[in-house]
Amino acid sequence: MNSFFINTLGPLGWTLLALVPPAIIALYFLKLRRQPLEVPSTFLWSRTIEDLHVNSLWQKMRQSLLLFLQLLFVLLLILAVLRPGMEGEQQLVGDRFVFLIDNSASMGTKDEQADRTRLEEAKRRVLEMIDQMDSGDVGMVVTFSDRASVVQQFTDNQRVLASKVKAIQPTERTTDIMEALRVASGLANPGQASFEKGDVQVAEAKPATAYILSDGRFQTITDFSFGNLQPIYVPLGNIESGNVGILAFSTQRNAEKEEELQVFARIARFGPEPSEVTANLYFNNELLDVARIKLDNEDGTGGVQFDLGNLDIGKLRLEIEHDDVFPADNIAYAAINPPERAKVLVVSAGNDYLKFALGTDQIRRIADVTLVDPDFLTGEDYPKEAASGLYDVIIYDDCAPEVMPESNTVFFGQKPPVDGWKFTEEKVLPQIIDIAQSHPVMAFVNLGNVSIYKSSSLETPPGGTTLIESDQGALMSIAPRKSFEDAVLGFPFLTSEEDKTFYNTEWTKRLSFPVFIKNLVEYLGNVKQGQAETSIRPGENFTFRSNGFAKEVRITPPQGRQRVVAPTADNLFSFGETDQLGTYEVREGDAKNVSRYFSVNIFDVQESHIEPKEKIETQWETIEGQSAWLPMRREFWKWLVVLALLVLLVEWYIYNRRVYV
Amino acid sequence: MAKTNIVSDLLSPELLAQLERMELVSRKVFRGRMKGERRSKRKGTSVEFADFRPYVAGDDLRFIDWNMYARLDRLFLKMFLEEEDLHFYTLIDASTSMDFGAPSKLTYAKQMAAALGFVGLCRTDRVRIETLGTSTRKPGPVLRGRQSVWRMLDYLDGIESGENVPLLEGAKNFCLRNSGKGILVLITDLMDKEGFEPALRFLSTQQMDVYVIQTLAPVELNPAEQIKGDLKLVDCEDGDIAEITVSRPLLDKYKRTLDAFVDGARTFCAKRGMVYMLANTEVPVGSLVSNYLRQRGLLR
Repeated sequence: MNSFFINTLGPLGWTLLALVPPAIIALYFLKLRRQPLEVPSTFLWSRTIEDLHVNSLWQKMRQSLLLFLQLLFVLLLILAVLRPGMEGEQQLVGDRFVFLIDNSASMGTKDEQADRTRLEEAKRRVLEMIDQMDSGDVGMVVTFSDRASVVQQFTDNQRVLASKVKAIQPTERTTDIMEALRVASGLANPGQASFEKGDVQVAEAKPATAYILSDGRFQTITDFSFGNLQPIYVPLGNIESGNVGILAFSTQRNAEKEEELQVFARIARFGPEPSEVTANLYFNNELLDVARIKLDNEDGTGGVQFDLGNLDIGKLRLEIEHDDVFPADNIAYAAINPPERAKVLVVSAGNDYLKFALGTDQIRRIADVTLVDPDFLTGEDYPKEAASGLYDVIIYDDCAPEVMPESNTVFFGQKPPVDGWKFTEEKVLPQIIDIAQSHPVMAFVNLGNVSIYKSSSLETPPGGTTLIESDQGALMSIAPRKSFEDAVLGFPFLTSEEDKTFYNTEWTKRLSFPVFIKNLVEYLGNVKQGQAETSIRPGENFTFRSNGFAKEVRITPPQGRQRVVAPTADNLFSFGETDQLGTYEVREGDAKNVSRYFSVNIFDVQESHIEPKEKIETQWETIEGQSAWLPMRREFWKWLVVLALLVLLVEWYIYNRRVYV
Repeated sequence: MAKTNIVSDLLSPELLAQLERMELVSRKVFRGRMKGERRSKRKGTSVEFADFRPYVAGDDLRFIDWNMYARLDRLFLKMFLEEEDLHFYTLIDASTSMDFGAPSKLTYAKQMAAALGFVGLCRTDRVRIETLGTSTRKPGPVLRGRQSVWRMLDYLDGIESGENVPLLEGAKNFCLRNSGKGILVLITDLMDKEGFEPALRFLSTQQMDVYVIQTLAPVELNPAEQIKGDLKLVDCEDGDIAEITVSRPLLDKYKRTLDAFVDGARTFCAKRGMVYMLANTEVPVGSLVSNYLRQRGLLR
């Protein structure tokens, strides 16, 4: 079939269709049986209908407008079935297609001089491509944002494909194409089990073409081989579109005046304009403050700080006044949550410096500390309290429980009873060579003037992080356990030799020790004092523990109905329906008051930087975008059907009005 | 009894009473063969004085005006206008197409011929009725005098449709048989596919005072009431077929064609000194004769 027509019918279909015109002509002749009527003369009638004398088949046909219209109708239908169209240079490549449609936040951009969003444009183009599929071609539709979703598995049913594409909804999520590529690659590159000579391939590779419809705002593709998957990148969006977006919005206590709250925001401009924006800060939907923010000429960023004084629990919203094509990042949300005090259990035989460090004002402000002897571990109350997760953090000073509690833990000089932790043989005078100061536990902790007499180096379970590194190995590490974290120090503070007890290190005498203890309590006790809950991105899971022991919490999204969430066994709540931007309210049990807020914001440079990428970078190659995307095959069959219907309408009109002879 | 029926069929007593007071009028004064009731250009014997002329030997002494002789002492012959009869012909189209309508066009033509003939007979005109197909049948008798009414009606009664003769041929044959001058009333539907023009042109050259009465049935004048649907129209004379699907536009177009045809005939006749009249068979013969023909000057 040449490029102007595409055959869509089989031999049987064509045979049946070919029978229609003769059938119409036959019916026409049957219809010609007119009632004879004798008249004085046909003289005047003949003059009236000049050439009505039906003497030949041709004359009969020539005069029957209705017959012509009917035949024209069938002809138009036949032409429509042949799907005539003008071929663009762009054609579908191959016979198996994976349509990867980006539905991340930036695809909601409605580019200038466009009446549709990038996602709508992507859907339109995919629908065009589906229309262009030949019979026997199969297609698959995958959407991707921060996760991939198979909208439709491989099928040759174009109608199903089209309906699934039409149903794709935009999201506010960030972009990660890797999962989508792995899904697309699934059939094209089946299990690579046959590396050795003689191995049998488990499945036959089926080459496919992956059409990636996106603005290209995702990370460089690494550790992925396209193999039999032929990628075709279709960039969407106007390269000249500009945007201004909020990239960060957070609150914290003023370090100097604890009762005062400060709000910080960072705004970035992508594009030449504007040089200044106005930011409005709302507290519980009431305008609280306004600021003009200058955006740097070079990198286009600007920041703002609001000093709010002492504010109670409530919702904050920052809006920048700027009309741009991507409005989703022009609003940021945050919330002020009530201060949470950590419940801390300290099990220690007697360590004055530790007691001192736990008795500072700062610790008392943020935590309720219970000090017990190691004998408490063998008592009746401890197993219940440990199993119920009553304490946020338990500090074991040179002692260890038999069973790990449902809490975060700190072990000084003892190995936790958890697989994976190993203490090597004690060595004398390890030299500290590195501290993970980026970790909250070690923030502002200076160990340069600290010496240690004896210490074991540590081996951590998988996922562990070394906090203090010595020349003999890790002296302190932190590692995850279920939803908890365990911090382990490889040496005790007190040591005994020849029945004499003395201090193993002078760290306890240094200023860094109470700082270290405060960090431990603050970090592992999950203390947040009037700060905004860490903002999460759309679609991310929000996990938290309730203040009490609520059997369920009710979470109200910015829009939509309330959801009820039950805790897991360790009193942990997890909520994943965070697709909407905004501030979510959490109420515990039947409480009417909000116990906490959490916010969902985009805060992603990749999403806010809406300028479409002209090419996709991968580890191995560069995929050039079809920047000059030529028009797809323009098909006329719909117009032909409309024309056929019009002809049918005219025929019906003529038949009823009989305006012809 | 039969004759009474004929009279009642063709001529109603009321119509006869009207017709008795009428006479045929010719726009031309013709010379008749026999003495009649109308004034002739020829001087002859009548009661109507025309002129005097000097007596010459051989003149009829009965016409000498003796009073003049007494006064002038010269013989003058008194001349009177001759009173002549009028040759009145009625030529009826008896083709099959005339057998349509209620009454049929042929019956209507017979009634008209009877009425006009009666007027002529009452005025002792020379009346002759023929059909276009007379070449194949016996020509109608020459009638004169009121007593000939029955013979005229007899002849009319004998005319039947089916004489499908072309108009031109019928006209030629008529002229061959009747070369004299007079009034000719042609009653036909003019539906000749070869055209009526040659026939009328032929008649116009005969120095006759020609009246053309085109008789059309309602089905021809207004077919909307009787002709409906998808039809195959069959010509009753030559079997010609016209297939139509009746629609308002078609009927409108037919009406325009009919009007053009009638106008054409009227114009054609007017140009050649003939009088044209369209007769709808729905209009009673009495009113046609007493109104329309009087208006057109055939009767007074």
